[in-house]
Amino acid sequence: MKPNDAETCELGQQVELIRQQQEREFQIGVYVSWAVLFFFLILAFSGLKINLFGFEIKTIALDLGFITRSGPNIAEGIVVTIILSTASIVLACLLALMGALGRLSRFPPAYATSTFYISLVRGTPLLLQIFFLFFALPQIGIRLGPMTAGILALGLNYGAYMAEIFRAGIQSVDIGQQEAAYALGMTRNQMMHRVVFPQALRLIIPPIGNQFIAMQKDSALVSTVGFVHEILWRAEKHGRRDARHLEALLIAATFYWILTIIFSACQSKIEDRFSKGVRE
Amino acid sequence: MTQPIQPSSMVQVVDLEKFFGALQAVKQASFTVDIAEVVCIIGRSGSGKSTLLRCLNFLEQPHYGSIQIDDVRVIARPDGRVDPAQIHALRLKTGMVFQSFNLFAHRTALENVIEAPIIVKKMATTEATDLGLQLLEKVGLTDKKDQYPSRLSGGQQQRVAIARALAMQPKVMLFDEPTSALDPELIAEVLGVMRQLVDEGMTMIIVTHEMDFARNFADRIIFMDQGHLVEAGSPTQIFDQPQDARTRQFLYALDHQN
Ligand SMILES: Nc1ncnc2c1ncn2[C@@H]1O[C@H](COP(=O)(O)OP(=O)(O)OP(=O)(O)O)[C@@H](O)[C@H]1O
Ligand SMILES: [Mg+2]
Repeated sequence: MKPNDAETCELGQQVELIRQQQEREFQIGVYVSWAVLFFFLILAFSGLKINLFGFEIKTIALDLGFITRSGPNIAEGIVVTIILSTASIVLACLLALMGALGRLSRFPPAYATSTFYISLVRGTPLLLQIFFLFFALPQIGIRLGPMTAGILALGLNYGAYMAEIFRAGIQSVDIGQQEAAYALGMTRNQMMHRVVFPQALRLIIPPIGNQFIAMQKDSALVSTVGFVHEILWRAEKHGRRDARHLEALLIAATFYWILTIIFSACQSKIEDRFSKGVRE
Repeated sequence: MTQPIQPSSMVQVVDLEKFFGALQAVKQASFTVDIAEVVCIIGRSGSGKSTLLRCLNFLEQPHYGSIQIDDVRVIARPDGRVDPAQIHALRLKTGMVFQSFNLFAHRTALENVIEAPIIVKKMATTEATDLGLQLLEKVGLTDKKDQYPSRLSGGQQQRVAIARALAMQPKVMLFDEPTSALDPELIAEVLGVMRQLVDEGMTMIIVTHEMDFARNFADRIIFMDQGHLVEAGSPTQIFDQPQDARTRQFLYALDHQN
């Protein structure tokens, strides 16, 4: 039997309401589960002794004195981490753009320089590149400031990986867009600048965001050379001095995590801003 | 820059050849289009119609022959090393409308129309906006000026695309199957705008499968087959008294496919 219009309409509304209800339930379920997981994480480091059906469970006790003493100083590393990773991602984006354009160029030196750079950087470990800038260059008389060397190492490294992201973004803009621009008399530069880049940007912003999130943590690698006073370097120093490695690393982990959560929230805002013409 | 060989001709193509690897898509194509003439190119799929049209503004690099539009003459070279300034001059003489519209997806209807006048011709924004609004009115889309292409129907997108091409004040309009991607009920609105251009005396070269439009509005029909310009003539000549067997076969197949 075929339901009449009024009935299908009512049924449709009912189905939609049920769907919304299910969606809400899912969201609530996720929040509650997060809260539970978080609670257990806190509990694990609470130092409480829990008696569970006769079993004694000992949780990890933290030295709160150390945390209050060293926390603020480690926190000062947050600014350093942010400056380091932000400057590095900006450099990486510039290099990635040039790398991508080189890869797409029909001018042999441009193509060769780009592929050479990408191959060399992706073919060697990031840690080696950092050591190279900090320790190998001074040997031949090139002394960079620790921050400069750190930014250079991270920027160079990420630029090579991100060049592929940029290239894919540029290539995924429909070829018809280029043809239309050329047919209207635009030069290659005008076409790239006005038509391709703005549309490619929308596609590459999410992966750039991911790279930035990864970079915030990889910036800690720079601390291994011991001159850039970012979060992990400070945590390590305090932890060693007071033999409180556990507390120190937990403080550092918390700061990194919070940074990532804040940036992830910003990321979706930025993506919305660049979705012009795609969604309404 | 040279003068037109015939003062009345707008487009003159001589011995054009185009290869895709071993495949020759255009073979020794020669034809002229007079000022205000409307030429329709017909032929079966893969016969080289789009390629020929796209050679005219160097979206495809022809390998041999010459193209003259108005007072710009470009000689094709097998190595493709043609002076970019010449290609640019040729493109300024032509406006192109694509089967898939190709509106700039990140720009509104009005922004699409004023983009090239501002960027290429360095026109002032206010002046370009006036021109843009005028052209959108001409194609009947004033109320859609602030919409992004994704919010427009195919027919509306194609009309914006026509306005965008007209904004550069081309001497010749090139259409590559402008209605092939459209639902049947949207075809008429695009053909309506094209008809208006015919009435205004625009020189037009149209690759089309719309035989009714070709019959009613073309001054001349060119039939292409396997890269050759097989036959050219008035609509009556081509549709009613085709001389070449290939033309007859094509028209016969067309009549019997529905
Ligand atoms: N970029 C290209 N690379 C290689 N071959 C191509 C390319 N473009 C077109 N061709 C080939 O050239 C020939 C002519 O193609 P063209 O697109 O000009 O045909 P058409 O007459 O426009 O066909 P349709 O009516 O299907 O649009 C075809 O055999 C096609 O496969
Ligand atoms: Mg075609």
